[in-house]
Amino acid sequence: MMDRTVKHLFMKEFSSYFKTPLGYVFLVIFLFGIGYLTFEPGRGSFFYMREASMSSFFRYIPWMFLFLIPAVSMRLWSDERKAGTIELLLTMPVTIRQAVIAKFLASWAFIGIALAGTFPMIFTIVYLGNPDLGVVFLGYLASFFMAGALLAVGGFFSALTKNQVVSFILTVCVSFMLIMAGSPPILDFISTFLPKFFVDLFESLSVLNHFDSIERGVLSLSNIWFFTVMITCWLYGSMILLNENKAN
Amino acid sequence: MEVQVDKNKENYLKIILGLLSMTFMIYVGSTIFKKVRVDFTQENLYTLSKGTKSILSKLDSPIKLKLYYSKTAANKGTEGLRAFNNHFLYVQELLRQYVGNSRNNLSLTIIDPRPDTPEEEDALVYGLKKFNLTETERYFFGLVAENESGTEKIIEFFDPNQKDKLEYQLTKLIYTVLNPQKKNIGIISSLEVMTEDLSPYMAQIMRMQGKNVDESWMISKMLGEFYNVKSIDKEADAISGVDTLVIIHPKGFPEKTLFAIDQYLMKGGKLLVFVDPLAVSDRSGNTGAISSSPDIGFKKLMDKWGVEAKGNTFAGDKYLSGIGRFNPNMPAGRLLALLECNEQCTDTYKDNITSGINKTTFVYPGVLTTKEIDGVKHSPIISTTDKGNSYIAQNYELNNPSALWNKFSEGSEPVVIGYRSVGKFKSAFPDGIKKDVDKDKKDQKSKKDDEKKAVLKESSKESAIVVFSDVDFISDQFAFKETFLGAAVANDNSTVFLNSVEALTGDIDLMSVRSKGRINRSFDVINKIELEAEKRTADKVKEINGSIVRFQNELNQLGRKANDGNIAVLQNEGVRKKKELAKKIAILKKELRMVKREGREKIEGIGKFFQYLNTLFVPLIIVGFGIFYSRKRSRLMQGRRIVKTEDSNTEKHSNRMTEVNI
Repeated sequence: MMDRTVKHLFMKEFSSYFKTPLGYVFLVIFLFGIGYLTFEPGRGSFFYMREASMSSFFRYIPWMFLFLIPAVSMRLWSDERKAGTIELLLTMPVTIRQAVIAKFLASWAFIGIALAGTFPMIFTIVYLGNPDLGVVFLGYLASFFMAGALLAVGGFFSALTKNQVVSFILTVCVSFMLIMAGSPPILDFISTFLPKFFVDLFESLSVLNHFDSIERGVLSLSNIWFFTVMITCWLYGSMILLNENKAN
Repeated sequence: MEVQVDKNKENYLKIILGLLSMTFMIYVGSTIFKKVRVDFTQENLYTLSKGTKSILSKLDSPIKLKLYYSKTAANKGTEGLRAFNNHFLYVQELLRQYVGNSRNNLSLTIIDPRPDTPEEEDALVYGLKKFNLTETERYFFGLVAENESGTEKIIEFFDPNQKDKLEYQLTKLIYTVLNPQKKNIGIISSLEVMTEDLSPYMAQIMRMQGKNVDESWMISKMLGEFYNVKSIDKEADAISGVDTLVIIHPKGFPEKTLFAIDQYLMKGGKLLVFVDPLAVSDRSGNTGAISSSPDIGFKKLMDKWGVEAKGNTFAGDKYLSGIGRFNPNMPAGRLLALLECNEQCTDTYKDNITSGINKTTFVYPGVLTTKEIDGVKHSPIISTTDKGNSYIAQNYELNNPSALWNKFSEGSEPVVIGYRSVGKFKSAFPDGIKKDVDKDKKDQKSKKDDEKKAVLKESSKESAIVVFSDVDFISDQFAFKETFLGAAVANDNSTVFLNSVEALTGDIDLMSVRSKGRINRSFDVINKIELEAEKRTADKVKEINGSIVRFQNELNQLGRKANDGNIAVLQNEGVRKKKELAKKIAILKKELRMVKREGREKIEGIGKFFQYLNTLFVPLIIVGFGIFYSRKRSRLMQGRRIVKTEDSNTEKHSNRMTEVNI
């Protein structure tokens, strides 16, 4: 099903995450962080809520992703461009489309591994009570979709600049905007100078709204459409940028 | 240079256009595809029931829904208040489903009323419940439904605890906007449920004169607040102009009344029936005789509905038995006759009549069974737990609690005390009844000695019947209590009654809107530990109290033995015993603290275990794997290096190989 070149590139990229300590550091920080936040002492804490659901866990996923995803995506292209290996890569019989897809899928799979590392949480709720496993499954699906969308954004900014730090900061900013797009303070602010239609348009870009909608237990075609369009468009943007930069 | 600038401009333009087209695609797609969705929740929380969809399909004029939610205020508020955001999202999602299924007849506006704005004023005018958070900040969470003709109905506050009933509440709201007129309820009873009300002044005077004042039952007065209530004569020939007929303790009704009830049902009328194998509220009969219903005549009707109420048979449940006494001289104890139903009796049935009810007291409730009738669906709405059982008791045994307990054995299936039957019923009088015609008329119509009424043999449209096997639970004695401010609701009995009337008065579709049900998702393991700890604590407390009582008794005994000769010795003995007791109590209290601490520590231990499991377990595995993998790789690389260096020595290409390895 997957193009052979894409498959090879994907394998190479995916394994590269585990060849340097950086990949392990990202995984450990993410897993420790999400575990700590879920069980953090306080009124929203998992044990305080005493509910066999993963709402306390999924609540923090967007905020953990806000930093994890840019950290993972910043090196997708910036690194290659800085080291000059992108020229080497593009001289090989690999199209930009294949390279972009393979790198994106590899980083997405890496995030998938990070999410899979939270499996003790499922054991916890199953042991303690009677959870709705359908909702838990959708929570993970929503997290995975969101990771895909933010990775595509990160890939775009990584293709835009040679500097990893700039790529990281730009991705954090845009991801934050996309996460907060549906929040009342932002919408209130925007509605002071934009007509309602444009406010609605802006709100529809909210990653968090779609994430919440799936995480609550309802999977709608509009959610799938949203994440598909987001991923496709940002990846397409990356391809345009890389094509342009190839000439430079 | 100019070419480069143009190229950059083109790139920027491409990106801006790309972003704009992405935004439009998302906006349009999200709007179009919103309706295509799958609800993965176990309770189908986000899926509308058939009943709701059917009511929505009947909409033919626009209704505006205004959802007031003070989101800004909630976000500024406490953690507890922020938790309402989740419920708001649920309400919003469900309302969107309503709009999506309304063929554009419903429109939804979400309003965040800020202080001192017209929106806030509107919310107050509509009568939504407000909560003052600060001096200026107010919190609203309610809904207004408004139709073209200006009829407004509201849900003044969305209580997250009634989440399972939300769909019913919303559908009812829309239904009442569609049908705003007050409904008519008829009450027919062998008891004095509705009397001609005297003025409070006259009633007081009569009481002072030592006369009995027959007053209407409280439930009929409560009903009057929401409906037009009228009393139906026990000897009525026909019943009409009534949306729901309430039948309480049906016995001794003449055939013509039974026929009237039967025909009322055949015309699509709805019935709420209370029968009872022992109605203690009926004080009209002889002392010693028990008053039970239904009688043979009414049983004939019930038989056609497929519902049977067994005589002399009662429902009991050891775990739901209430504490009380039959007469003031008796010590209070657990009575099998008192059935205190909680959510265990209703949760399984997910019925809106009984959903959320957690304290309903039945007195000598009977047992209902059903048989299959074509076109009729029976659904239990309230029962005992599965440990409940039925028992047969004779008149002379009913006042003897221990005799009843001796007759009872734990069962394995719930005993039903409330049923709802919906469908098309058959008449119990398919050939009508014979009607006596006045003698003079008889002469005029000599050819006809009897005249048969026009008879409906089958329900003309779907109808509904709700039957309970207890009458007393809606009587003043068991549903209300006296306070210094007057009668007050004592339990959920009157709510069950009002819910039943409300459910029957609505559309059949409204009746079919089921409660979503509540699945307990609390930490069972922790609850179990807590319960165990509580039990052990209670045992210890009991032990301490027992020691104190024993000591008091011993002291009293010593006191009784005391005389001039031995008082000093006994005083010493008393002091010694007191010290012993103090020591014993100190030890027991220590044990009590230990028990409490053990329970707490056990829970904290579980908490800590899972915290470590979720924060450290996988990261440690990853670190371990990383170290293992990197060592393996470095060993592999070293091996390769040696091999490649050997190769290079022979082939003299050492520089290239080293580069590759790096």
